[in-house]
Amino acid sequence: MNCDAVVKSIPFYFYGEVAPDAEDAIEEHIEACAPCRVEWERQKALASALDRHALAPSPELLAECRHDLARAIYREESPVVRRSASDPWGLFREAFSSLWRPGIRFRQPVGAVALIALGFFAARFTGTWPAGASLAGFTPDAMVSSIRSVQPDNAGSVQISLDETRRRVVSGRLDDHNIQRLLMAAAREQDNPGVRVESVELLKDRGSSAAVRGVLLEAVTHDPNPGVRLKALEGLKSFAADAEVRKTLAQVLLKDQNAGVRIQAIDLLIANRDAATVSTLQTLIGKEDNNYIRMRCQNALRNMNASVGTF
Amino acid sequence: MLQDAAGAVSARAVARVDEATVIRAVQRGDQDAFEQLVRAYDQSVLRLAMNLLRSPEDARDVYQEAFLRVYRNIHTFRFDCSFHTWLYRIVTNICLDHLRKRKVRREESAIVETADGPVDRMDSFEQEGTHANPERRMWNTQLGDRIENALGDLTPRERTVFELRHYQGLRLRTIGEMLGTSEEAAKNCLFRATQKMRVVLGDLV
Repeated sequence: MNCDAVVKSIPFYFYGEVAPDAEDAIEEHIEACAPCRVEWERQKALASALDRHALAPSPELLAECRHDLARAIYREESPVVRRSASDPWGLFREAFSSLWRPGIRFRQPVGAVALIALGFFAARFTGTWPAGASLAGFTPDAMVSSIRSVQPDNAGSVQISLDETRRRVVSGRLDDHNIQRLLMAAAREQDNPGVRVESVELLKDRGSSAAVRGVLLEAVTHDPNPGVRLKALEGLKSFAADAEVRKTLAQVLLKDQNAGVRIQAIDLLIANRDAATVSTLQTLIGKEDNNYIRMRCQNALRNMNASVGTF
Repeated sequence: MLQDAAGAVSARAVARVDEATVIRAVQRGDQDAFEQLVRAYDQSVLRLAMNLLRSPEDARDVYQEAFLRVYRNIHTFRFDCSFHTWLYRIVTNICLDHLRKRKVRREESAIVETADGPVDRMDSFEQEGTHANPERRMWNTQLGDRIENALGDLTPRERTVFELRHYQGLRLRTIGEMLGTSEEAAKNCLFRATQKMRVVLGDLV
């Protein structure tokens, strides 16, 4: 190894980034060559000076950051949580649980009213509704103005809280057709993302129904909340080979603003490869500004023996 | 030494919790697990942001934005890389954006005017290895200024690669993966960064 090669390798040698045989050669050279030894000493001095001027966060700054984070998460979810906790992490927990925990009661006043005719309940109410279901007194021609909460339980039932002229709670099993219809309506509840998340979560395992799949496709394309879109994508996982689903996934991949949604769409698309997927991924690489997604596309195209660019 | 410290922090984080279990709990909606995850990594995230951006305000912004992104996207995490790599990819992307914006606008002064008179923003940092000897301190101040200038001369990508290799102790292969580039490209960045700093600091080290 000559001096030029050793001098160029010194930074990598210092950081342990050269192969073991090259390491031995550099060590031997430095031992025998005074000018290269000086270069080595300078490298060590530079590293030592940089170490002395490294910056460490003060405990106060770290505490402020944690406080700010908890507040920011709380603010993000504040329309749907109860403001009772006093410490920041308590607020954060409330916010977090409002997004995730099944059955949380959303207290946000519902603005726009999506009126849903519930005539179908009448038939259920008059005889075949399961014993113990709380539909007593439900008016057959009732109108639902909004759905407040959707709360599944471990026994496979779901409790749906809805507003008509006054709020009412109805219960039924998830495999009940009318409950599913109500959940599909809830998945479109414009003003309450929590209700939409919970409804799509419950519907996502029932994508074999064309109507449910339609709701999932609508959610993944149009829902403004990325959490809802991600849940809907999960529900479409088993139908990633379906032509309509693939067409929607390609649109999502090219248009969705959320990187997490785009990554999930890539995963579903590349599980069933076809020529259209190659074209979609090539188009995406040209416009994608997220390095990780570009890398995923490149890897997928390589695995499909397709070129990374279009010509 | 710092590399050892970074490695030790990481090792402690892993030893303290079964990370995969915690992440799965977060994905199921366990808020305590999310707090645990934040606390396992947030010191090293803040340190990375501070050393990259040399500004407490920017580091604070990066901290918040990074963990908010984790919070919003944790359910997309598929364990096809380590959580550490995933998190640092988020942090370095945000830092790179800050550095690029900073290149466009005029470099901010470290001294800001306050009601109590001029304040050096860098006072919010604790500098490691400070010395009591006045001469030594003066020499250190001079060296510190030159280091700030040397780091300022690096491109955002060179600075990021250097920070991740020198201060965070990450392998070039991992750095390449985080930045969406090759190990070779990361290696070239590290070489250019080292050379530039040796030119600027040559007479002091």
